[in-house]
Amino acid sequence: MSFKSNLATMAGKSSYWFLHNFMGGGSSLPGKITTKIDPDVLHEMGKNYDVIIVSGTNGKTLTTALIVQVLQEKYDKVLTNKTGSNMVQGIVSTFLESSRPTAGKKGIAVLEVDEANVKPIVEQLRPKMFVLTNIFRDQLDRYGEIYTTYQKIIDGIKLAPDALVVANGDEAIFNSKDLPNPQVYYGIKHQAATDDRKAAPNTDGVLCPVCQHIIHFHYITYANLGDYFCPHCGFKRPDLKFSVNEISAKTPTNSRFMIDGHAYQIEIGGTYNIYNALAAYAVGREVGINPTQIKHAFETNQRIFGRQEEINVAGKEVTIILVKNPVGTNQVIDLLATESEPFSFIGLLNANYADGIDTSWIWDGEFERLPNMNIKQFETGGKRYRDITLRLQVAGVPAEQHRIQPDLEKVVADIPNMPTKKVYILATYTAMMQVRAILTKKGYIKGVKK
Amino acid sequence: MSFSIRVAHLYGDLMNTYGDIGNILVLQFYAKQIGVTVTSKVVSLEEDFQADAYDFAVFGGGQDFEQSIVAKDLQTKKKELIKFIEQNKPLVAVCGGYQMLGKYYVDAEGRKLPGISAMNHYTEQQHEHRFIGDILIKNAATGQEYHGFENHQGVTYLGENEHPLGKVLKGYGNNGTDGTEGAVYKNTTGTYFHGPIMARNGNFAVHMMFQALETKYPDTDFTEMKNQVQISGY
Ligand SMILES: [Zn+2]
Repeated sequence: MSFKSNLATMAGKSSYWFLHNFMGGGSSLPGKITTKIDPDVLHEMGKNYDVIIVSGTNGKTLTTALIVQVLQEKYDKVLTNKTGSNMVQGIVSTFLESSRPTAGKKGIAVLEVDEANVKPIVEQLRPKMFVLTNIFRDQLDRYGEIYTTYQKIIDGIKLAPDALVVANGDEAIFNSKDLPNPQVYYGIKHQAATDDRKAAPNTDGVLCPVCQHIIHFHYITYANLGDYFCPHCGFKRPDLKFSVNEISAKTPTNSRFMIDGHAYQIEIGGTYNIYNALAAYAVGREVGINPTQIKHAFETNQRIFGRQEEINVAGKEVTIILVKNPVGTNQVIDLLATESEPFSFIGLLNANYADGIDTSWIWDGEFERLPNMNIKQFETGGKRYRDITLRLQVAGVPAEQHRIQPDLEKVVADIPNMPTKKVYILATYTAMMQVRAILTKKGYIKGVKK
Repeated sequence: MSFSIRVAHLYGDLMNTYGDIGNILVLQFYAKQIGVTVTSKVVSLEEDFQADAYDFAVFGGGQDFEQSIVAKDLQTKKKELIKFIEQNKPLVAVCGGYQMLGKYYVDAEGRKLPGISAMNHYTEQQHEHRFIGDILIKNAATGQEYHGFENHQGVTYLGENEHPLGKVLKGYGNNGTDGTEGAVYKNTTGTYFHGPIMARNGNFAVHMMFQALETKYPDTDFTEMKNQVQISGY
């Protein structure tokens, strides 16, 4: 380690120590201090680790957590950026907070990396493996074209041509460019390749990357993911090294499925989470962890699935789910379709910067599926309640079951009077934060107390 | 007598960046109120577009890559699209779709791509700047106000035989300088209002719906139906 790097690490570590002990926090500030002194500090610190980078637009956090869980079956300590600091400085902080691996022994690190930060990270850390989840357009981005996002990721991957790329084989874009790297694919192969269909009209990324015709699918798992093929030029899904061959049961809180003939279950719903588990399985197998150990890993620490907490509001079981774009919303609607009990549905739309200031995307959500579900009452609210109210009206939600309540305080007050035990709230970011604040104030969510 | 509107969703699988499909859903919503059937079909790459097979068309915006592919294919549908427009059939074109109906447009990478010159506007590109935000305009002929959201880097200038959809009261509009937004030629409307302009502006949706009906059924008096419609714009 150069003198400068050494000094940088010391400065970073002591600022972490200071923040941790006196400020009760510290995720990326120590990183800032360190990278100011020596931008190569990551390079120095990373030398002691085998690094796995997880990137893509959706599902990075849970995939990373699951990979860590799986790797713990083999490694005593797995370094990871838990706080969701997935840019350069946050990752520097991650290394600073860790104790050095035992002398002469390499540690292992699994890092969730923001798409645009893959290249600067790879310049410093020579990863052994990349894991790619998917690429969907993010409404918060300026234009967020899927092609530019993917290009950013592969600009980084190409700098480490020896690293193995473990990619979602059901995502055509991951098969669109030649890479110098060794590659393996994972995907869902639970249906026969007999059908020939196109994606719904409002689906992104359906142009064949080879001949620019519309790609077709034998089946679609969600959005533009599935067993794709191009009838025009023969471009098709690559061979899958790791595949889910059966989805046995889906509920909003549990998924059971088979990977390569082994039965697994995770305590979370949603097809997208089956993909996350599959990615973690693929990584585990690539580093020599066996299917039984992976099963053990998935069932050990259920808290990692704990994003969708259930809140008890005067006897009602309330689940708040964040929505921000059509793909995510459609996944949530898919999840609700697996609910076996009757429930009430609350849709809350804000349009502050953190929500996305353009609400047009709600028209790409498949709200038309809601009237066919066992929903006893609908309620819409938030700053942009007019938009979401009309969206549900157009979707065919009956007026007599639909309450309109712009004021979130009143929405929360309505919950105890809802006709069902289960209540699902779909909310954009700031609406969710506001509802949580109201629920905390009323004592339904226990704050962190000392 | 039963009435129907057949919608062509032009390149609906490639040009649907911002909920453009909402325009069709909303058209169906209002049509249902008056017992009019709406059917919709995506007309995409290498597919035949026949003016006589449709009464209404929706043409949305897309990502740059998709738009460059569509711009080429659109030339093969040029003749029939111009015929459709000249027959006074309503067409709502948003962002990229709006740009392509004009003479030419320059994309984000500076490439100049020909439109189909069905209308006379043209679109240049501003550097390192986008017009993003809420927009409010007022239509000179009807006095109606329309509101929506714009997000575009292209700057459009109107040409002969077309007039703006509205005068900008708040926001940027076509080019941020001349106070115009959108373009109207016959019953075709081009606009930068994102995706569901017809959702947020029920008055505009209903206006376009009756244009389609009156063009298709010139001998029918729709006055009573017009009074029946409940506008839920917001
Ligand atoms: Zn092809």
